[in-house]
Amino acid sequence: MIKIMLVILCFFNTLNLLALEPLAEEEMQQVLGQGGVYLSGDITINENGGPLNDLADSSNPAIWQKNCTGVSTHKRCGARIAVNAGDGANSGWLVLDNIRGRFSFEGMTLKTRKIDTGFGGDGALFNNNVLEIGLPNTVSYGDVSYTLANSSQARPTDTGFNQTDILNVNLDGDVSLRGNLLLFPTGNP
Amino acid sequence: MKFKKIILFILGIIQSSLAVSLERLSDSTLSNVQGQAGLTVEQSQLLNIADFSYIDDGNSLTFEGIRISSQTDVNASSSQRYVIDIAADGALSVQTTVNPTQLHIKGIRINNSMGSFGDLTLNFESVTDFTIKGMHLGGLEGRFTTGISNAEMIWQTNGHAMSFDNISFNASIDNFTFEYDAIDNTKGFSRTGLALAMDNFDFSFSTGALSLSGVSLGELSGNLALSANLQVFGGGRNGAQGLTMHSQISILSDPENYVRYTDDGNSLFMGDFSGFLNLTNLTFDIESDHLAIAFDQMDGSFTAEKILMGDSTRPIGSMELNFLFEDDLLNNRHNRWQLYPGIRQPDFNTMPDQIKSYAQNFYSSLGPASEGLSISTQWNLANADLSYIDDGRRVVISGIESYGSANTTIDVRDQKIAIGISDLKGSYSIDGLRIGNKTAPIQGGAELLLSLEVFQAMDFDIDGFTEITAGGASGGGIRIDGDYFFNNANIGLSIDDTGEGIWATGVNYDIHLRDITFDVESEGLKIHRGEQWSTMDIANVRWGNKTTGLSLGRVKLERFEQNSSLAIIPGGAGQVCVGATAGNATACNSGGGRWEDRGEQGMTIALKSAFANAGLTTDGSAFARNRLTWENNRAETSPGSGEYINDSGTQIIFDNYSTNDGAGISDTNNYGLQANLNIDVYETKVLKKSTGADANGIAGNIADELIYDNTDRDSYSYVASPNSAQKALRPLGFAVQGNVSFKELNIDAIQLKHQNVASPQTVFYGVVMQNLNLTTNLTATPIQ
Repeated sequence: MIKIMLVILCFFNTLNLLALEPLAEEEMQQVLGQGGVYLSGDITINENGGPLNDLADSSNPAIWQKNCTGVSTHKRCGARIAVNAGDGANSGWLVLDNIRGRFSFEGMTLKTRKIDTGFGGDGALFNNNVLEIGLPNTVSYGDVSYTLANSSQARPTDTGFNQTDILNVNLDGDVSLRGNLLLFPTGNP
Repeated sequence: MKFKKIILFILGIIQSSLAVSLERLSDSTLSNVQGQAGLTVEQSQLLNIADFSYIDDGNSLTFEGIRISSQTDVNASSSQRYVIDIAADGALSVQTTVNPTQLHIKGIRINNSMGSFGDLTLNFESVTDFTIKGMHLGGLEGRFTTGISNAEMIWQTNGHAMSFDNISFNASIDNFTFEYDAIDNTKGFSRTGLALAMDNFDFSFSTGALSLSGVSLGELSGNLALSANLQVFGGGRNGAQGLTMHSQISILSDPENYVRYTDDGNSLFMGDFSGFLNLTNLTFDIESDHLAIAFDQMDGSFTAEKILMGDSTRPIGSMELNFLFEDDLLNNRHNRWQLYPGIRQPDFNTMPDQIKSYAQNFYSSLGPASEGLSISTQWNLANADLSYIDDGRRVVISGIESYGSANTTIDVRDQKIAIGISDLKGSYSIDGLRIGNKTAPIQGGAELLLSLEVFQAMDFDIDGFTEITAGGASGGGIRIDGDYFFNNANIGLSIDDTGEGIWATGVNYDIHLRDITFDVESEGLKIHRGEQWSTMDIANVRWGNKTTGLSLGRVKLERFEQNSSLAIIPGGAGQVCVGATAGNATACNSGGGRWEDRGEQGMTIALKSAFANAGLTTDGSAFARNRLTWENNRAETSPGSGEYINDSGTQIIFDNYSTNDGAGISDTNNYGLQANLNIDVYETKVLKKSTGADANGIAGNIADELIYDNTDRDSYSYVASPNSAQKALRPLGFAVQGNVSFKELNIDAIQLKHQNVASPQTVFYGVVMQNLNLTTNLTATPIQ
């Protein structure tokens, strides 16, 4: 568990190293515009269960064969991620279980551009390309849910499987995300 | 006077061919001949010519062992019948009936080369009607029809044959003219040549099967109507002799035009096409060891209004291609082919180690005297654009440029067509996309093609060796086995028209394909990938310039798949509710979603990747696995060089990821990772992200929609609540309904490696992901 936290912290720390301060609108206009992509739409996870829940597929293990319509809340209908953060066979698994829900957004942009002005003079010094992820103004969560658990085995079908659910999370509503995320290499490659 | 000379000349030719071999008619046969106007000649001939040479500037192209005979007995005569008549208008009419005949050429060499182009056999029978008369101001004009049936063409190298069986060919020319008045001034001097013009040249063809050892690769058929002009001049590109041509071909707009490939009754079809093709200074020269073909310029346009894959009721849309191949003297880039008899093997000593042994094995059965075809090619594509039109909505991939060179060998071996390509060196780039029409402003967004593994730009150096076998996963079809290596390539992932952006540079890409089959089925095109393993080693992922941009480090992707597949199916997503779950527009809108009817056309790509557990490949030649490695903090080869030593830095490794059917790596792997993409071109809702004027000075409020002012799509405004007419002027883009699913995706270990330790250390002793079914409805629009 400590290892996991360290890795996650390291990941966020890396992002912090890459982060630039927000651009004002007038600074944005000084940025050299280049081509890119505007994305909008939705992403839905296991709305009607996953492939292991397919009742028509007799090769699926019985423990997974559940009726997973949109209104079903059975714990096997979602996606599952199990991570062994211990020392292999002798340790348990950290699990995100029964992952389901819908994310929808309007206006995420992806583009590469060169920053050579702005940022209080830092832009001219930087004088390099960045990958800009323009965050959508709003991301809507529709019945997004998951369960955090500890498990003795990776799979519900494994011998000796025993799982303890720690907490369930359910999200509905909108999240406001504004600004841009700029990604660029730094340090020694 | 001139016309009489021509008539006498033609009669002389006919007479000389008659002299080849005449057989005596029996009395009984003579008694059955009825007296008619004109002249009827029945001829039988057994023709054997030891060799026939065409000599150009002292170099000879020699056809050896030419034989014209009966099909059933190569020592017996074939027979022909000529009916010759002079019409009231003075036109000479010749109707020729050729009974089943075989034309055989034992070998074709240049300057007595050791290697030969191979052995050619043509079996055929035909009926031809040919009418010709003099023109008022000199020259000849006439009309022509021919029908060739029950034909078979066989190409044989080193004792192995490929054949086009059961060929049928019909052609007619409503009117042709033949004059000696073409003037050419393209080379700084004036010369006169032959001018041939054909009005409404209509032909159709079909082959029963293109087969190897009796197994069919599929059937080809087509119909084409065109008009053409051709000018022919003496003198080629090199020396004093040779041949030069200019041609102007117009493909007539005709719904009956089509080309069809059929496999087990299912077809790939391209029809209702039109266009043109112009060639300038197409030259033919015989050189000391090759036939040289070259042109200064070739430009053309080609439009196919109807494209079908399997399902004849669901067209995927239409395509339009415009192109210009043109010599670039400044950069020494040309359009050239050099055809060598025999197989010219590459220099193995200069090959990268990753492909060298595969190349040596590929050519191991061939020697200097082996038969086959070797081609040395150069090309310079100065500009091209490709349009895809889906339900009337057009996306143009614009500004396609490419140049390069390659050496290719082709031969037929034991039930296979073997194609070796070495030193395929060159570059290509795409400027960007135009949306709506061909004159719309160019935009970014070629990144959208990455999902189809089409990159924006690439500098490449490729060696690849392919064997094509007849027979797909079921019945006929095509099977491919091959080994390929990209050496030190640069790949543009997201770049602008100045070449700045994100690049994968110094890419070594080692690919091995086994038992890859292509079949056309009733639903679409199916590709079964029996086994493939590859390593893509990217030396640097650079931001900015491809040589000096900042590097993210090295990325190495190893892949090992067994029994994966890919299907391309006509038809896109159809009716879609984006942002909610509903089956109709009313329910979708009331649920907070957006109802979109993306039409009947479009295409669906269904991909199954069955990632295999680490292990030996089936042929035992390699130990393969799926692994992703990211490395940085590497040692520089020399200070300031910008080049880094692989495996000298720190690494994070996702080791041995694989799929299975839900019970772990010992389980079956039939489901794999499946990705289904329904792709359409559709209007996209694009919202303004901040209040005020944008980069082009167009003002609007946050969340206003970008709407084009008219169908030219060259100006736009921001609209708070667009009406129906304005919604039709939303920006166009790719609308992708995607679904990704797997039963289990397993990662054996996630590891970190410090440069000072020999082996990586494990962070996670396994990640097991199960039962994912992820659906996306995304619209992706290019932006400026």
